[in-house]
Amino acid sequence: MKFLKNIFAFLIPLTAMLITFSIYLLIDNVVVNYKQRIANDYSIVIITNTPLIKENINTLAGIDVEKIQTLKKNRIINNIKSNLSDTSIKLLKRKLPNFYQIFLEEFPTTTQLEKIKNTLLQNKNIRKVEVFSKDHNQTYLLLVLLNSITFILFFIITIFAIIIIAKQVKLWFHEHSTKIAILRLHGASILYSASSVLNYAILSSLFSFIIVGAFLYYVSSNMMVIFPYELMDIIDVKIDFYNELFKLFILSFGISLFTIIGVLLKYKINND
Amino acid sequence: MIEAKNIYLSYDDNKYIIKKGNFTIKQKEFIFIGGNSGSGKSTLLKSFYGDIPLKHGSLKIEGQEVFGIGGKKLRVLRKDIGIIFQDYKLISEFTIEENIMIPLKINGYSNEVSRDQANKLLAHVRLSHRAGYYPNEISGGEQQRVAVARALAHNPKIIIADEPTGNLDDYSAEVVWNLLKGANEQLGITIVVVTHRVPKNLGIKFRQLSLEDGMIYEVS
Repeated sequence: MKFLKNIFAFLIPLTAMLITFSIYLLIDNVVVNYKQRIANDYSIVIITNTPLIKENINTLAGIDVEKIQTLKKNRIINNIKSNLSDTSIKLLKRKLPNFYQIFLEEFPTTTQLEKIKNTLLQNKNIRKVEVFSKDHNQTYLLLVLLNSITFILFFIITIFAIIIIAKQVKLWFHEHSTKIAILRLHGASILYSASSVLNYAILSSLFSFIIVGAFLYYVSSNMMVIFPYELMDIIDVKIDFYNELFKLFILSFGISLFTIIGVLLKYKINND
Repeated sequence: MIEAKNIYLSYDDNKYIIKKGNFTIKQKEFIFIGGNSGSGKSTLLKSFYGDIPLKHGSLKIEGQEVFGIGGKKLRVLRKDIGIIFQDYKLISEFTIEENIMIPLKINGYSNEVSRDQANKLLAHVRLSHRAGYYPNEISGGEQQRVAVARALAHNPKIIIADEPTGNLDDYSAEVVWNLLKGANEQLGITIVVVTHRVPKNLGIKFRQLSLEDGMIYEVS
């Protein structure tokens, strides 16, 4: 009980930070999954004077080009040939420019779309670019916004958490100052002297990681807790649980160690 | 061996507590440092284990210059020294046995070896029956015997004691003096003791230094 009381002020901010991080991870996963889904259905159509050399376009606005598909001229002519004579069709076949469909690996944002269009139009060979910006999905933009807000929230909570955790570590140092001083006088290193403080921090991080890991497991198996059914119908909500758990582990122990090392360094500078 | 040449010590730059300190303490010597309250005896002792930095001069402990010492060198120096404080400085959350194990564990000995050595020393200071007790559960005299055992645990080259019997009754004081005497005679450990009262009938050859107005004098 005394131990829990001792680690409470460390555990709470760290857990709050990790929960915010896990929510961010969930939303980020939703965005990535959704992005992937709509990217598969999305393509840009370009019209060129001469045949396009596919190797010349590998990336657009930093996004990898997945494939470039040639749109068969016959298919285009078939759609309009009922009103045309054979001579006109032959002429059309000769004069018709080349049509391509570009598939991207990721779904671009509106800004990226604009950049893609400008990049393509700089190419003298390209006559027209259709990015279908009107089809650009509003749900996606809302999800990106939500993702950014969650990240900002996580960032702010992390700053406050680090401040509170650092204060708690300083308090532990103060509580153990006699012990630390005695051990130092006997030639112990600062890490050895402060091992009890380190133990507190490691155990707090472990508890926090277990709590948030359980939370993530529960939420990942019951997505409807945070996402409405309607959204789940249109978005594929699934996460790589072990991968996200690993990220939580790294963050939990990383933040604790980062804070402890900071306080230790300050202590060392003041006392050596 | 401790060799001080023209040392100056102070807590601030305005007033020197020790001025022009010159003395040599040879190996296996038993030294008493006397002087009035506030004369700087404890300050001088603290400078031996780098707890107070030297302002000027040179102080060598076992060949290691203490002036400007820090980091790993200071840790190594402290590992060669056993310290006994007037207020014992035992760690309250450790048992008596664990307190004696401290210098051994810091010196890299395993738990098993450290525990074994601690129990031998507990028997030597006649406190085996208190091994599992915590410092606040034993008397002041017993705590000081534990502190002596801790100072002896890792077989240091020098033992520094700051008023080791200052808070003790006659019986406990005698036990502590006998332990220090034994460490000097049998183990050849250099002993430096700061005290107001040099014990009578110590039965050992010793030298005495005295501090007055920041100066160090040889008494006998």
